[in-house]
Amino acid sequence: METVDSNALSAQHLVKIYNPDRPELAVRAVDDVSFTVERGESVAIVGPSGGGKSTLMYMLGCLSRPTSGSYLIDGRDVARLSDDALAEVRNRHIGFVFQAANLLPRRTAVENVMLPLAYAGARGARERALEALERVGLAQRAAHRPNELSGGQLQRVAIARALVTRPSLLLCDEPTGALDSRTGREILDLLEALNREGTTLLMVTHDAAVARRMRRALRIGDGRLEADGPTEEVLDGAPARASDAGGG
Amino acid sequence: MLLWETLGTAWKALGASKLRTALTTLGMVIGVGAVVTMLAMGEGARAMVEGKIRSLGTNLLSVTPGAPARGPVRTGSVETLTWDDARAIAELREVARVSPESMGSAQVRYLAKNMTSGVVGATVPYLAVHSYDLTAGTAFSDNDLLARRRVAIIGANVARTLFGNLSPVGERIQIKGMSFKVLGVLEEKGNEGFSSPDDQILVPLSTHQAALFGRDYLSSIALQVASEEATSRVQTEIKRLLRLRHRLGASAEDDFDVRSQQEMLQVMGQVIGIFTALLGSVAAVSLLVGGIGIMNIMLVSVGERTREIGLRMAVGARRRNILLQFLVESVIVSVAGGLVGLGLGAVGAAGVASVAGWPMVVPVYAVVLALATSFGVGLVFGVSPARRAARLDPVEALLHE
Repeated sequence: METVDSNALSAQHLVKIYNPDRPELAVRAVDDVSFTVERGESVAIVGPSGGGKSTLMYMLGCLSRPTSGSYLIDGRDVARLSDDALAEVRNRHIGFVFQAANLLPRRTAVENVMLPLAYAGARGARERALEALERVGLAQRAAHRPNELSGGQLQRVAIARALVTRPSLLLCDEPTGALDSRTGREILDLLEALNREGTTLLMVTHDAAVARRMRRALRIGDGRLEADGPTEEVLDGAPARASDAGGG
Repeated sequence: MLLWETLGTAWKALGASKLRTALTTLGMVIGVGAVVTMLAMGEGARAMVEGKIRSLGTNLLSVTPGAPARGPVRTGSVETLTWDDARAIAELREVARVSPESMGSAQVRYLAKNMTSGVVGATVPYLAVHSYDLTAGTAFSDNDLLARRRVAIIGANVARTLFGNLSPVGERIQIKGMSFKVLGVLEEKGNEGFSSPDDQILVPLSTHQAALFGRDYLSSIALQVASEEATSRVQTEIKRLLRLRHRLGASAEDDFDVRSQQEMLQVMGQVIGIFTALLGSVAAVSLLVGGIGIMNIMLVSVGERTREIGLRMAVGARRRNILLQFLVESVIVSVAGGLVGLGLGAVGAAGVASVAGWPMVVPVYAVVLALATSFGVGLVFGVSPARRAARLDPVEALLHE
């Protein structure tokens, strides 16, 4: 149990098959993937489109269950949890940042950040939401609605929403994909800073420049884990694949 | 905490498309409004009938021709009661007053004005038995009856229609083309259910039978019993007497019916109850339609907010949180419609009450029923869309365009 505890997450022989009941339609989207991530790591998940990156991320984010294999997050085996328990894991242990900010349009920034706390049943939600906004540098925009904020500000609100329950794992799916390069760099700076403070960071990206900001990279192709190691080695070790990752 | 978030979300979601929300609510407004109006109408009519029972007293009996009917529908011959039957009844002990009556309908004219009016052939005790008073002139006498004089007492509405502000007493009106002298005017009684004395004209029974309608049977015999406790004794006596007079064998059915005024009003109360239930259930159908409207809009709303649902699941919403969210929204729409409908129904009931002239009653059970029903409709028709939302796959919901 000592070793399990030092890991933020541990995936063993993860398999995800879509339409497992109908062999002619069955798709092995993730095929026997095993790896562990220690607390405080920053990991990029790279690979070609349709290679299984997103499917893997949804399983790591507890949004779907593996068909087989085990997945432990903070020592708990997610594959065996009920829907309600999965919702609680997402609520307390995982923060999501998607390509689109996905904010509720008619709510202010602070109200959007408070949303996960409502489902957690936490007290002092507004104060904690304001703290989270302060951490992403948007305290002065707390009362603004999404249509009054820029793209970078929207993504910062989304990051604050992901942080507000103090999760151990931050899952990012192309967080800079919809932003210009300068704003994208600012968002990455922010994520890096959060990582230095101890949050485990997992980032799905097809952009090599973004991936290089992470210390470690996993390359997924055809559902299999093709490479796992320091980012520079994974990206440069197989030039053909690296250009794939760079070109999207 | 979560409650406020749920209510806040509901408020924003419903406020986002106000017209759509208002139109969805309209179904419930109309449904609840209609049900409340119908129930209030029934209660108003019932209250009026009960008021009459109290004011009439219980020592009135009414004999009508034809076999006794269980419901309000009369069967059998209607030409069995005669004036001689009435005279014989008057001879019975404990009978105070007897009023033989014959109903007809005729064209009535005064100068250039004319109307169709009920014409009642009556005798002297008529006014006393029905506790009617005159506002002007005099009643007719036994002499008027003996001489078959062409004299009339007219109801308040008849007087207003034919004479306006003029005094009718002493004037001559035409009934079926025959000239009648107006002796008096009845005081105004208001609506008495199915017919009102205000719209009638009284003439001597002898004149009614011989000159106007040429028939010798009666429509009814009303009588006053000397005391209340004698009522059922007299009822039995009249039955025995009339069976004898009509030469009915032991196996033959009665060809007449004796009822106390109270029994008749109870029958009316039952009829009102049946009508209320019938109209209420027709109105309740619109509640069903309103509920289907809510379900439809909630399904549309779930479809539009699929990504939002996915996001909520991603940040930790349990399936029951999502279920509750959409249930709360449909119940809010439904209950809001119910409240507005309740107000509208009360206004409708007040309108009907003022036209029909009965007390305005919105019974407590109707209010409770309206609110409970609208809550129930929101719940029942909200369940299916809410379950659909709660069962969404988080990944598919997040990827939904």
